[in-house]
Amino acid sequence: MQHFWDHPLSWGTGGIFVAGAVGVLAFVLLFVTYAIYFERKVIGWMQFRRGPNRTGPLGLLQSVADVAKLLLKEDTIPAKADRGLFILAPVLAFVPSFAVLAFIPYSSHLQFADLNIGFLYYIALSGVTTIAIVIAGWASNNKYALLGGMRSAAQMISYEVPLVISVVGCVMWAGSLNLRDIVAAQSGYFWHWNFLPQIVGFAVFVIAAISELNRTPFDLPEAESELVAGYHVEYSGFRFAFFMLTEYVYVYAIASLTTLLFLGGWNPPIPQLDFIPGIIWFFLKFAVIVFCLFWIRATLPRLRVDQLMGLAWKVLLPLAILNIFITAAYIQLWGMGG
Amino acid sequence: MKGMIKGLGVTLKTLGAKKVTHAYPDVPLEMPDRFRGIQYVIEDKCIVCNQCARICPTECITLTGKPNPDPEKKGKVLDTFDINFELCILCDLCTEVCPTEAIVMTNNFELAAYSRDDLFKDLQWLGSNTENIREDNNNIGAPQKGGAK
Amino acid sequence: MIRTEEFLLNVGPQHPSTHGVFRIVVKLDGEIITEATPVMGYLHRGTEKLAENLNYTQIIPYTDRMDYVSAMTNNYVLVHAVEKMMDLEIPERAEFLRLIVMEMQRIASHLVWWGTYLLDIGAMSPFLFAFSDRERILEMFNELCGARLTYNYMRVGGVKWDAPEGWIDKVKRFVKDMRLRLDEYHNLVSGNEIFLSRIKGVGQYDAATAIQYGLSGANLRSTGVNWDLRKTEPYSLYSRFDFDVIVGKNGDCYDRYLCRMAEIEQSIRILEQALEQFPGDGETMGKVPRVIRPPGGEIYVRIESPRGEIGCHIVSKGKAEPYRLKFRRPSFVNLQILPKLLVGESMTNMVTILGGIDIVLGEVDC
Repeated sequence: MQHFWDHPLSWGTGGIFVAGAVGVLAFVLLFVTYAIYFERKVIGWMQFRRGPNRTGPLGLLQSVADVAKLLLKEDTIPAKADRGLFILAPVLAFVPSFAVLAFIPYSSHLQFADLNIGFLYYIALSGVTTIAIVIAGWASNNKYALLGGMRSAAQMISYEVPLVISVVGCVMWAGSLNLRDIVAAQSGYFWHWNFLPQIVGFAVFVIAAISELNRTPFDLPEAESELVAGYHVEYSGFRFAFFMLTEYVYVYAIASLTTLLFLGGWNPPIPQLDFIPGIIWFFLKFAVIVFCLFWIRATLPRLRVDQLMGLAWKVLLPLAILNIFITAAYIQLWGMGG
Repeated sequence: MKGMIKGLGVTLKTLGAKKVTHAYPDVPLEMPDRFRGIQYVIEDKCIVCNQCARICPTECITLTGKPNPDPEKKGKVLDTFDINFELCILCDLCTEVCPTEAIVMTNNFELAAYSRDDLFKDLQWLGSNTENIREDNNNIGAPQKGGAK
Repeated sequence: MIRTEEFLLNVGPQHPSTHGVFRIVVKLDGEIITEATPVMGYLHRGTEKLAENLNYTQIIPYTDRMDYVSAMTNNYVLVHAVEKMMDLEIPERAEFLRLIVMEMQRIASHLVWWGTYLLDIGAMSPFLFAFSDRERILEMFNELCGARLTYNYMRVGGVKWDAPEGWIDKVKRFVKDMRLRLDEYHNLVSGNEIFLSRIKGVGQYDAATAIQYGLSGANLRSTGVNWDLRKTEPYSLYSRFDFDVIVGKNGDCYDRYLCRMAEIEQSIRILEQALEQFPGDGETMGKVPRVIRPPGGEIYVRIESPRGEIGCHIVSKGKAEPYRLKFRRPSFVNLQILPKLLVGESMTNMVTILGGIDIVLGEVDC
């Protein structure tokens, strides 16, 4: 896709961009549909259950049916809600989640926008979703939603800091913010992948990322047992579907990022295996990460708000900063990694 | 960290464990013999002693008798017998006190209905509820030989 | 002008963590509770008043519906009170059966608590782990007395059903499996650092406060008070068996958690002994007059339900119906300490503390 960017925008290139975006959207929707299906299946299996198995063969159409139901549902807006903001919030949440997918490279050739600021683009856009969630919580005019929105604002802003800083190590290692360069720097055997040399950064990144996703054990904004459903308690129908979609699109984005930054992207674990296309390696690693997210969700209880903040500022942030210094010292003493 | 990893291990192990889900509406549930389900009333056995209606804690049983049409025989025979399943708690006390086992439990339990009126079961309905009848009714509360005192 | 204000939040009656239809009106300063007012009675059915027009056998199904997670102990407290009043002799086999089902019920009840408590704290799987094991107990109860929740099993003078063929062996097998399952439960959550940090030091009170509020059960024992009616005032056949009363030290949610988990183990111990000594044959119903008419007078008996001291106070005027029947419901009494514990805690801790008290709304509202 990259060479199209170099031409001036014409109807032709514009059409290709739109077609590409629609293609990604379709793929992401497919992913979300089956991520939800597998999440329910995996968690079911981990709890002596079978998971959805009634709709379609093996229950494969369950998510489709759920989405159809959400779309057909009556659209309700609470009478005392702030109408404009209430309608705006789901859109504002979803758009950035989709836009961040533009820069993710799936293999050395398949990428939409080869941004040289790479990871920062993700951080900048995903921050907008936080605002959307706060807006949703505020506009619903519901006390539970408000508490959920406030929690989410505090949580997502706090965890963005260690998230960014934990990646700095990788960036220094590769000497570039560009994701393709970071992946290229990890080629070789699997111990060249960043998750071993950057083990501290990797741990901090994973924890901060799960928290950014608002998933168990950091699902405080929607903490079911305390806040009923948190910020989207008043949402139903397709507006709720948008929040749900946003959440899973971010799962997609974060899983891709973890693969790229720490698990060597499309590189095979040993170079002898490179006859298998890189994209398969990418999605294999991607699937493992998504599975781990489900697995964690099935096992761990939820943190408390004060512990959550403590973890971000007192543990993760110092660790991430320490990681930067260690990496810098290593590079200074023994030269660049890779 | 150790505790969390242990927990993750347990859930991972369960991933392949035998599932406990019943295929319930597809495969009917087999209840043990003693299960207390919807009652079956045998009209001919009833001697209209009213024990069941009196013991019922929720007063959901109403019954009336009429003189035996056969003038040779004494006593009454059942005329109407209704159980209101909006009230019935299937506590088993009516079958426990019945001296002739005219009212017994079955293993059927599917009572859901779209209308409250459907839950009002009369003698005809209760008399035709003949599937899965409980074998052992253990009517310990029933009067022993010699009849009710 | 920026200003802050406290706001009132209605938690319940429809809320996932109130375990039924319980409502707390909390005054929140941010997320910190400054005042909490529990509101109850949504499930009030007037059991005690209804009982005044029912004879003693008819009351038994009503006790099932009080603490519906632990119906066997409720059955027992009523029949035990009537039997004591009438000075009845209970056949040994019947008493054994009662004790076995009560201990199984204690395990089942604690499992429900364990599962729902973890669900409150945010872990999903323990709930289904607990319920899949509880299911086995309920299946056995179903075989024994024909119902899974509202057993109506005990009668004044004995029990309704003898154990069916092979039932005792089934319980033996279950008890054996349960020990292993308990280890798995501990592996699953008891060591989890997040879980521990959520419950350690939360909802703490000392022994004196607990006694002042009349707490009982694990809520009292977690403060270090050695008070288990099975030991302190042995009823049924408990004096024959060897088991420990589990006491905590700090009186926080963590100690309550450990107490209850250890009580499952003690129940297993009691069951193992009881199943070993179970008499081969015998009557299951004592000599009871046709119509149960306790002599005039009053009686109060209390036993240890999974939730604490459940008591039954009968005032009889020598009729077939009680003149007045009063149940001391442990959930109701234990709940009284809640407003005191909640002040100064966050919303999250509210759920932890409420769950830790272990209430059953059917019993609170009676």
